Amino acid sequence: MAIVEQQRDSRIDLSGDVRRRRRESIVKALFFAAAAISILISVAIVLALIGKAWAFLTSIELNQLWGNGWFPRRGRFDLSALLVHTMMITGIAMLVAVPFGLGSAIYLSEYAKSGVRRVLKPTLEILAGIPSVVLGFFALQFLTPNVVRGIFPGAQSANFLAAGIAVGILTIPLVASVSEDAMRAVPGSLREASYGLGAKQWHTALRVVFPAAISGILAAVILGISRAVGETMVVALAAGLNGIMTFNPTEGGLTMTGAIANLAVGSDQVAGDVAAFQSLFFVGLVLFVLTLGLNVISGRMVRRYRQRY
Amino acid sequence: MKSRTIRLLALLGAFALVLAACGGDGSGETTTSEAAADTTEASAEPTTSAEGGEGGDLSGSIVVSGSSTVEPITARVGEAFDGANPGVATSVEGPGTGDGFARFCAGETDISDASRPISEEEIAACEGAGISYVELHIATDGLTVLTSPENEAVTCLAFTDLYALLGPESEGFANWSDANELAAELGAPNAPYAEEPLVITAPGEESGTYDTFVEFVIADFSEERLGADNDFTRADYNASANDNVIVQGITENPTSLGWVGFAFYEANQDVLKALEVDNGESGCIAPNADTIASFEYPLSRPLFIYVNTTDLANRPELTAFVDYYLSDEGLAAVADAGYVQLPAEDIEGTRAAWTGAMG
Amino acid sequence: MTVDTAAVTTTELVRRSIEGRRFSPANAIVGFALLFTLLSSVLILVTLLADTIAAALPVFASRGLGFVTSSLSPTAASAGIWQGIMGSLALTAFVIAVAFPLGVAAAVYLEEYASDNRVTRFINANIRNLAGVPSIVYGILGLFLFVEILMRGVFGAEGGIGGRNVIAGGLTLAVLVLPIMIITTSEALRAVPGALREASLAVGATRWETIRHQVLPVAIPAILTGTVLTIARAFGESAPLLLAGAQLSLFFSVSADASFVDLVTNQPYTALPIIVFNFARQPQAEFVSLTAAAIVVLLVMLLTVNAVAVLARDRYERRYR
Repeated sequence: MAIVEQQRDSRIDLSGDVRRRRRESIVKALFFAAAAISILISVAIVLALIGKAWAFLTSIELNQLWGNGWFPRRGRFDLSALLVHTMMITGIAMLVAVPFGLGSAIYLSEYAKSGVRRVLKPTLEILAGIPSVVLGFFALQFLTPNVVRGIFPGAQSANFLAAGIAVGILTIPLVASVSEDAMRAVPGSLREASYGLGAKQWHTALRVVFPAAISGILAAVILGISRAVGETMVVALAAGLNGIMTFNPTEGGLTMTGAIANLAVGSDQVAGDVAAFQSLFFVGLVLFVLTLGLNVISGRMVRRYRQRY
Repeated sequence: MKSRTIRLLALLGAFALVLAACGGDGSGETTTSEAAADTTEASAEPTTSAEGGEGGDLSGSIVVSGSSTVEPITARVGEAFDGANPGVATSVEGPGTGDGFARFCAGETDISDASRPISEEEIAACEGAGISYVELHIATDGLTVLTSPENEAVTCLAFTDLYALLGPESEGFANWSDANELAAELGAPNAPYAEEPLVITAPGEESGTYDTFVEFVIADFSEERLGADNDFTRADYNASANDNVIVQGITENPTSLGWVGFAFYEANQDVLKALEVDNGESGCIAPNADTIASFEYPLSRPLFIYVNTTDLANRPELTAFVDYYLSDEGLAAVADAGYVQLPAEDIEGTRAAWTGAMG
Repeated sequence: MTVDTAAVTTTELVRRSIEGRRFSPANAIVGFALLFTLLSSVLILVTLLADTIAAALPVFASRGLGFVTSSLSPTAASAGIWQGIMGSLALTAFVIAVAFPLGVAAAVYLEEYASDNRVTRFINANIRNLAGVPSIVYGILGLFLFVEILMRGVFGAEGGIGGRNVIAGGLTLAVLVLPIMIITTSEALRAVPGALREASLAVGATRWETIRHQVLPVAIPAILTGTVLTIARAFGESAPLLLAGAQLSLFFSVSADASFVDLVTNQPYTALPIIVFNFARQPQAEFVSLTAAAIVVLLVMLLTVNAVAVLARDRYERRYR
């Protein structure tokens, strides 16, 4: 029918049936709406956090945010304690995740034969799929009595070391997979040139490929940091409720995520427009901004190495 | 290829629908059948009496929140009640006495479990929201002050001793002896203390157990010495919401100090040493079922449930629930959970309060 | 993604022909050290599983599958995880129903329709950032948007559980996994050869007809693999549900004669990871083995899902590369 219509029309109209075109634009509009929802979600997150966070900030003295311990019920909102504790967990986690994650990545990328790879790589993927509550329980029941108390017999039952190690274990697969991607993106010609100049395999891997992939590897580490900062269930179970700032890894304390979880499951007086409840949103906002910043930096680094190769 | 994909998608979709539908009937049916089977093991008597087994024709929902100390009691009652009344959706949570009251006075819960009496601010909040309630005393617990069995130095501590060691002015005292000066000032009978490390493991601020300790032991002194708004313990101790962790913390340290509910002490008697407590007039009293039930032990505390009576006439399921709770079978959960039963006259008093509120 | 096995083989050939078969101690040491890190990760996984299974055995030995079919109870001897399994499955069904169509649609738009301009790049960057937001922040979003505003404000859910229903929880999880869904689907679509699209357009098909009849059928296996992995992720999440209202209690029940609508809007619910969290917090010693047993069930369900996805991915990679 379309051909008959075209023969009648002197201009050749290639755009076709009106119904098809209309269906096409409807479909396109629907799909655009779906994509735009992602923007709406971001806006919603910011709105959800900002309103009550602002209400919280305006209801307290700003100097309350520094020093004196995090005891929302007593009106003591020491954000610095939460930040320090978060950094401690993240630091310990990175001490575990970077060596094991990077080492695994270098091995898988430069050394492993495809058979070995096919067997061992899924292990990392399985580790990535383990829910964080499981790691929290592992930290509480295995790491603290056997590992932490093995080295430091006087450690408390809730301590940063166990929680930090567990968060590190969680982060190993992420660091490994992103670094491995970065190293595999390095073209084979670089390696071949290195061999041609007489370098051994280990020298090539560590002194040629690794530096070539450095921005991707840094991106992996930063992503790992972001993941460790945002981890909640492990610290809720294994890091304790201590609100006073401590630098001792054999003690425990509230991190930012731990404080939010605590406020939510009712460990501090919540519900309603009390400052304690609103502080939940404030800490959430700080957490959101921090992880967003880390992710943006990491994204820039990934783009840099993707561009180069 | 295409038909296979369609079949796969259809299978996924059907699977999801079936699960969602099953989730509806499955959990309901299994809950009641399992709960009914379980309650015959858990509680001493079968739920066939008129009290709990009123019939499966009740419907609606009952939401309970509040103290994690009272939660085990109410959860057992709820389980038994649910077995006999599967049409009622029951939920029992234990986020803490303070949080429970916040939700109760916002009208979100029907019953608030509490390990301390309702406070002034909470009463005002409930009044402001137009919520009327009745306070029902259902069990008694005793805060047991603990140390390690290896600690020979102390057997009894008075309230003044406890304030010197645990009060807001004691922040930073790392040894027992650091508190000697403060103790002397207060006239504490068991000072001076040994020069041993003072390792404190105790409930955190969210728990009613903490609140009760502060109210009984700390508040009077802190108000007198420091003015109002200072009724807290020192902040630098190992706080934990988990009584097991507290017990562990006490056991591991030869000169530890802390406190838990009596049920926990009883369950771990072999690894803990309970200190006798003296409130200044009572003399040194040791905690046991008798001294706690009679309130002779200075740190005995009543456990309550607060029931929302605002709309009771239209809530037959709530009335039935509380009726069952206060019946002999329901109150058997108190002993099951390890708490101290009320003596008979007090039970009658509670039942009278309930009858009064219903009418 | 960036698998280039041909280049590795060439490089390996080059390396062998230059280095010869000489043994290099330095190489062996470094290689072994690196292998050690990888094997340690395997060892950690094995330890985790072994320790958990060992702790869980007493429960299964004494109660068998009764543990899986019982409901929550304050008495450790009768507590079971059935409500958690049902709740998690219901939440997962919800997540599929919401995140799958939305995710695929969004990815189709971004890969097939959108031109490479500022708006598109901004949307893509935004999605990548959303994928990295901590899950507890999504919990705050769920509390604010789905529980307070949607359920209580719009639908007026009062009393009872006051808006903390499966729908709010499901929406929270769906929003959490949506960015991941979009990213994996985008990658699946990108892997479809451009020639396929060009040929289809050349014979006069519209964009949508091309997508529907040519691109999607080729990409569906990879999309489904990504979906399955997303489901596994949603299944194991607990932090958002803590805030969005899953029951964190030793006992709760739903009304036995509740209709389906009533069930999803007015009845309490919980999820398996939340039960694990709650059991882990309980002080009674018996709950330790109960927690381990609940973890074993959770891991079995997750490993099954992951294994299916990995197997499907391997088959897909071999067929469509």
